[in-house]
Amino acid sequence: MSKKSFANKCFTLYLPLGLILTFLIFPFYWTFVTSIKPEHELYGATVTYWPKDLTFASYQKLFGEFNFLLPMFNSLLVATITTVVTLTVSTSAAYAFTRFDFKGKRIFMSLFLTNNMFPNVLLLIPLFAIMRSVNLLYTPLSLVVAYATFTIPFSVWMLTGYLKDLPNSLEEAAMIDGANRVKAFFNVVLPVLMPSIIATGVYIFIQSWNEYTFAVLFTNEATRTIPVTLNNLIGQLGVQWDLLTAGGIITIIPVCVLFFFAQKQLIEGLTAGSVKG
Amino acid sequence: MKRLLVITLVALFSVGLFGCTAASNSPSTTDETDSSTNKNTNSESDDGEGPTLTYWYWADNSDYSDLMQNIITEFNETNDKGITVVGEEYPWDGGGFMETLFTASVGGGAPDVATFKLTSTPLFTANDLLANLDDYIENWDKKDDIDPNIYDIMKTASGTDSIYLMPWNTQVLYVYYRPSIFEEAGVEVPTTYEEFLTAIEKTTMDTDGDGQTDIYGFGMRGATGGQEPWGSFIHARGGSFDDLTSEASIRGMQDFIDIYENGYVPKTATTDGFNEIIANFKSGHTAMTIHHTGSSADMVETFGDDVSAFPFPAGEGQWTSMGDTENVIFESSEHKDAAFEWVSYLAAEKGQEDWTVATGNVPVSKTVQELDFFQENEFMKASIDGMSYAGIVPIKDTTTEWINTIWPNTIASALLGERSADEAMEILHEGLHEE
Repeated sequence: MSKKSFANKCFTLYLPLGLILTFLIFPFYWTFVTSIKPEHELYGATVTYWPKDLTFASYQKLFGEFNFLLPMFNSLLVATITTVVTLTVSTSAAYAFTRFDFKGKRIFMSLFLTNNMFPNVLLLIPLFAIMRSVNLLYTPLSLVVAYATFTIPFSVWMLTGYLKDLPNSLEEAAMIDGANRVKAFFNVVLPVLMPSIIATGVYIFIQSWNEYTFAVLFTNEATRTIPVTLNNLIGQLGVQWDLLTAGGIITIIPVCVLFFFAQKQLIEGLTAGSVKG
Repeated sequence: MKRLLVITLVALFSVGLFGCTAASNSPSTTDETDSSTNKNTNSESDDGEGPTLTYWYWADNSDYSDLMQNIITEFNETNDKGITVVGEEYPWDGGGFMETLFTASVGGGAPDVATFKLTSTPLFTANDLLANLDDYIENWDKKDDIDPNIYDIMKTASGTDSIYLMPWNTQVLYVYYRPSIFEEAGVEVPTTYEEFLTAIEKTTMDTDGDGQTDIYGFGMRGATGGQEPWGSFIHARGGSFDDLTSEASIRGMQDFIDIYENGYVPKTATTDGFNEIIANFKSGHTAMTIHHTGSSADMVETFGDDVSAFPFPAGEGQWTSMGDTENVIFESSEHKDAAFEWVSYLAAEKGQEDWTVATGNVPVSKTVQELDFFQENEFMKASIDGMSYAGIVPIKDTTTEWINTIWPNTIASALLGERSADEAMEILHEGLHEE
C-alpha cells in the first residue's frame, strides 16, 4: 500500500471511525471509570480521567450490602419469560395471520394495534387493579403479563411482515412431500424464520430488561428489577454515583453478551425482506 | 370508512372496558381484602399478636435505607402492641414517588402508611385517600411536643381545618454568614430586619481599593427556588403571599429591588440559582446567603469556624420557608390505630431521634430539638429557631407554574428595572391567585 493511499485511508476512514467510536464509547468508559474511583476522587474538585487509586469497593458494596444479585435475577427471570411467552404467542399469531384467511382477520390485526395506541401511563391504573384482583401483584408474573400487553402486539406486526415475505411454496413443497402443517411449520418455516425471531426476541428482551414504569408499581422489595433498584440510588438531595455506575456497568453485561451471540442473526433478521428476488 | 368505524368502535370498547375495570376496583367501591403482599400486611399477623403494616418510603441513599430498616426493626421489637411494620423502599424518582403512590392508591393497593410531601396533599385529599388525623392528634399525649405552627402548615396544605399529614422532619431556611467579614465590616449579627438590611449594605466591600466590589453583602437567588428567601423579605415588611399587592408586600419587593440596584448583590443575581449562590458564598464572593442545613457540612468543610448562621430576622412580620417530609395514613388501611402508633414513633419518639440525628434533618419534636446534638449545632439551632414562623408558598393549581416561570421572569424584569415593584407584584399576585 502506498504512503498516499494509507494517509488517504487514515483521514477518510480511520479518523472519522475513531471519532464516532470515541463519541459512542466515551459515556460507557466514563461510567466504568466512575465506578472504580474512590470516594475522594469521585467528589473531588479535580476531574481525573483514570483513577489514581483504583478501587472495586463499589462493586463489593453492590453485591454485598446492596444485594444486587436479587434484582438481577428478577430482571433476568422477567425478561426471559416475557421473551419466550411473547415469541410463542406472536409467532403463532403471525403465522395464522399470514397463512390463513378467516373472517375478521383485518379487525383482529387492527385490534392488536389498538393496545399500542394507548400511552403506557394510561394502562397503569387499570392493569394495577387487574393484577391486584387476580392476586398477581408483587410477583414477577405481573410484569410478564404487563409487558406482554405491549410486546405481543408489536411482535405480531413485526413477524407478520417477515412471514409475508416467506413464500408459501416452501411449506407447500414440504406438505406435498408428506409433512402435515405442524411438521412443515417446525421443520421448514421456523428455521428460515429464526433470524427474524431472534431480532424480535432481542427487542422484547431489551424492552423488558429496561422497563421502569410498570416495574416500580408491580413489584416490591423481593421482586424489584434492575431499573427500579438503580433508581433507588438517585435520592432527593444526592446521587450515589459509585453504586449507580457500578450497577449500570453490571446491567449492560447481559445485554452485551446477548448481542454478541445474536449479532449475526440480528442483522439478518432486521434486513429480512429488504431484498426482493 | 368502514375500517375507520371498526377501529373507532374497538378503541371505544377498550376504553370502556378499562374504565369499568378500574372503577370496580377503586378503593371507594371495594372493601375486599388486599392481594398478594398487602393481603398479608393488612391482616392480623400469623401468630395473632398484632397487626402488620405496610410502610412505603424513599431513602436518599443506601445508608438511609439501612437506617430506616433499623428503625423499623427496633419499633417492631419494642412496641408493646405487637405491631409489625414491613418497610418497602420506593425510588424518589425526582418526585415520581408521589405519582407511584397515587396510582397504587387509586388502584386500590395503597400501603397503610407512606412518607409524603406537603405539595401533594390536595391531590390525595380530593380523592379521599388519606385518613383524617384530627382525633388521633387531639388524643395524643405528645401532641404538644410539636410546634403548633407545624400543625397549621399541615392544615394549610390540605386547604381544610383538618390534619392529614403527620409531621416528621423539616428543612428550615436561615441565613449563612461569614463572621470574619462581619468583623471586618464592623457589623453585629442582625436581630431585626432593618439591621439585616444595614448588614447587607455594610458587608458589601471593596477590599483592595480598586473601585470594584470584591465582597457582596448578600447572595440573592433570582432563578427558580428564589421565591423562598424572597418571601422572607415580603413578610418582614408585613406583607404576605395572600395579598402580594398590599402596600406592605410592595415595600418588601422594593427592598429586594433596592438591594440589587445598589449593587449589594452580584449582578448575576437575576439568573443565580442554588449552585451559584452556594458557589459565590463558598468562594468568599458574598458575605451572606440563605439556605438550609443541607449545605452546612459543605460550608464547614470550606470555612471551618468562619461560617455561622442566624434565623431570618423579624421586621413587621417574620417568615421563612420550610421544606418537609411527612408521613400519612391511608384511608384504606384496616389498622389506623396501629398506623398512628408507627407515625407517632417517627414524629416524637425514638424513631424521630434516630432519623434526624443520622440524616441531619431538623426534628419536629421539641424534646429531640433539646438534645445537645441539635443545640450545640449553630445551623440546627438557627433552623429550630425559625420553626415557629416557618411556612410554605400556598399550594394551588397555579403554584408550579408560578414558581418555575412567573416568579423568576417577573423578578428578573423588576431587578433589571423593566418593571416597578407595583407592576411586578400585580403580576405575581395574579399569577398565583388566578382561578
